[in-house]
Amino acid sequence: MELEFFSAAFLSALFAIVLIDLVLAGDNALIIGLVARNLPKGQQRKVIFWGTFGAIAVRAAMAILVVYILNVPGFMLAGGIALVWIARKLLTPDPDAAAQHAAQAPAVSFAAALRTIVVADAIMGVDNVLAIGGAASGSIVLIVLGLAISVPIIVWGSHLVITLVDRYPSVILLGGAVLAWTGYSMVVREPLLAPWFEGHAATRLVIAILVFSISLAPWYSARLSARMKPLVVLLPALLIWMLAFEVAASHWKLQVDYLLANESGEYLLEGLRWQGWLPPAAAFLWLHEQFAQRSRSARA
Amino acid sequence: MLLIHRSPRAANAVRTVSPGGELFVASVVICMILASFGDAVDPALFGEAGLEFALFDLGGEFSVLAMRHWHLLQLLLAGGILAAGIAALRVGAPAAFKILRPAPRRTIDKVPI
Repeated sequence: MELEFFSAAFLSALFAIVLIDLVLAGDNALIIGLVARNLPKGQQRKVIFWGTFGAIAVRAAMAILVVYILNVPGFMLAGGIALVWIARKLLTPDPDAAAQHAAQAPAVSFAAALRTIVVADAIMGVDNVLAIGGAASGSIVLIVLGLAISVPIIVWGSHLVITLVDRYPSVILLGGAVLAWTGYSMVVREPLLAPWFEGHAATRLVIAILVFSISLAPWYSARLSARMKPLVVLLPALLIWMLAFEVAASHWKLQVDYLLANESGEYLLEGLRWQGWLPPAAAFLWLHEQFAQRSRSARA
Repeated sequence: MLLIHRSPRAANAVRTVSPGGELFVASVVICMILASFGDAVDPALFGEAGLEFALFDLGGEFSVLAMRHWHLLQLLLAGGILAAGIAALRVGAPAAFKILRPAPRRTIDKVPI
């Protein structure tokens, strides 16, 4: 699908791609710098050049692959779910993240350094390429533009990105929200689910709230008091419970609407749907409280 | 993702974000959820429910339906306007309530009625 140039849809997708690149694309510069640091001075410039070239080549190959993969039924849903996880990871405070990656292992030769850079880019660029593929809605022009924007960030932009996010941390929150929104649109665009969504339009709202409640959980849980923290798990779990009944009703042709129920089994199912979540929720709260008490007594 | 975690402020963005920035992003998220709500409502339902329901529900689903095809830039703009409105209310509402509050009984400004 090609979007019309400078239409609202095109500019919106471009803005989403720029934001995604800002929050996800800068890792390679860091990896290249860290790997090159371990080498002799004479080889550093060569490693930086070929590492950047390799990183860009890997990213271009992955972008082409993503365009084709997202057209395969099922992959749009998988990509959407992956973006929800990426958004959540982006917002989760992790001060030790920079210390936990492959580039920490010292590279002793030019070939080893190049291999480390290319492998690290292949692993760490997946999130960026997937998000760009989802935001581009299949438009090749937008994917090429996304790649063209991420390349300068890989090569020169790391300092600029760090300065920007350090001055305005809300860019990270906005990036997380845009990733969640892209994830939601990928899930509802999944060709395998399209006929089901036609018949269950209201579930789109449930899925949107589910996506936002899971991906933005690190943000709103930081604002909740200790007593309210279990809501971070309970709210998505309750939405999944309700959604599961909708899916089961359409898959096994069950009657889950109480106004249309006329057998005791159907009333039982209806009771399970609306009240069945209470015992597991109570058990979860009890367990949560037990663990909290145990950790409090261990600290005391 | 690794790069932004090099900055202590960005790595802890959920806590270091400014109140204004947080209000803006929260407003954008609200607009995104409203847009998905518009996406979840079948416009044919309004035809079945009739004009009376549509008029009664003007502030709810009917108005949200307009947001169903909004793009990200429109949602950002709407989020910005919503955030500005909430910020203005936060500043203006206490002033409005202060005017409504009666003066103490024995104060000089009290007008005897």
